[in-house]
Parts: sequence; C-alpha cells; structure tokens
Amino acid sequence: MNTEVSVLYFAKSAELTGLKSEIITVSSNVTSAQLWQHLEEKHPRLTVIRDQVVLAVRQEYVPLSEQPLTLREGDEVAVIPPLSGG
Amino acid sequence: MALNGRDAISLTTDKLSADAVSESVTCASCGAISLFIGTTRDHFEGMKVVRLEYEAYVPMAELELSRICSDIRTKWPSVRHINIQHRLGVVPVTEASVIIGISSPHRSDSLEAVKFCIDTLKATVPIWKKEIYESGEPRWKENKECLWADGGLIPKVN
Repeated sequence: MNTEVSVLYFAKSAELTGLKSEIITVSSNVTSAQLWQHLEEKHPRLTVIRDQVVLAVRQEYVPLSEQPLTLREGDEVAVIPPLSGG
Repeated sequence: MALNGRDAISLTTDKLSADAVSESVTCASCGAISLFIGTTRDHFEGMKVVRLEYEAYVPMAELELSRICSDIRTKWPSVRHINIQHRLGVVPVTEASVIIGISSPHRSDSLEAVKFCIDTLKATVPIWKKEIYESGEPRWKENKECLWADGGLIPKVN
C-alpha cells in the first residue's frame, strides 16, 4: 500500500538536494535502504553522502538496512548526515 | 527526579550567558554547580575560521536533549537542576555555542554528569555545524562521537 510521507533535509543533504523538505509517496513497508535509494534516484547528488547517513523516522534514528519501516500516512522522515552539535 | 529538580533545554539564536545558566541551576541545598562552555575556535587544520553556523532538527533535538536529562537523573539521582543551552544560526569565533549547567549536593555527581551530557550530546543530538573559513570552501563538521561519521562504528549495509 502506498503512503505519503514528508522528507526533511538537513546540513549537507539540504545543500545537495537544494531542498529543506518534500513530500514523497512510497510503499508503507519500504525498507530504509529502499527509501534512501528512492531519494538518490530523485536527487543523484545525494550519492556522495550515502555511506555517512542515517534516517530519522518519527524522530527515531534508523540506519540504512533491510528492515521494513512500517510507514504511516503523514509520517516525517529526516535525512541525518553525521552530527556536529556541541 | 530529585525533589523539584528542573530540566531546562533551549535552542536559541541569542547569545548564551554562563551567568544566566549558573543562576538558573543554583539551589540552596546544592554545594556544587558544574558548567561546561563549548566555544568556537579560530582555526582548523591551519585554516582560519571566521565563524560557525549551526542548524538543528529542532523537535528531535529537544527530544534527544530531554532523553539525556532523563539518563543523567537515572545515573546520578542526586543531581538537582540541569540547564542545557545550544545556540543556533551564526556563532562568531570565541562566543559560546553550548552551555551546560548542572547542580548537585556534592561535586563529583555534577562534574561527571556534565561530562556525560556533552559527550552524549555530541553523539546523539541532531545539530550540525558548518565552519566558514577565511579562504576555501565552508565545511560541515562531523563529531567523532557520531556512529555514522566517516570511520564511525555503524556497519554499512548495502
């Protein structure tokens, strides 16, 4: 089943896509790796950060893996480059 | 939580004040206030840094900071008040980007809790820092504490 979720871009990922956010439609049992693949296909410049990125789904960190995400309509997914707070 | 212990968390573009943080965690039954101030350095690998710019995923950063406060209170139950302030936007060199203040009855708990707080903040809170140099391209920094930084600990799954 397809679900509409919002994707937030931060730091380097926002610069690479030229976006702060967008709405995408994906299968609700997409894996984090597949979701990233989808974003890379839309924004090929994201490839350069592929090995140093995790996602945050409903404000919980999710590494890129084969685990299905169980997305719900309206969920917020964020692209999280390496942290540099503090 | 210690009786009437307060957690104060703020993400702000305003200039931070160590005096204000210290006053906010003061309490009559505490013999110790420990403060950490993170300031911006003027150089990186021989390049002159003119300023830092900070960005945050604000709702999740607040959530992670409140988790840190909760972890602190579990590990050091005597901790009384906690105040964590992180600046966002432009931070000129030598100004504070983060201030952490923690009070406790005796000094070892607040000292240890402050160290834990900044170490965990650097590993888990979704805040990013960009260094702007006098010459050369700006660079997004990466904390070595972050598991998914280059050379980090998270195994990559292809």
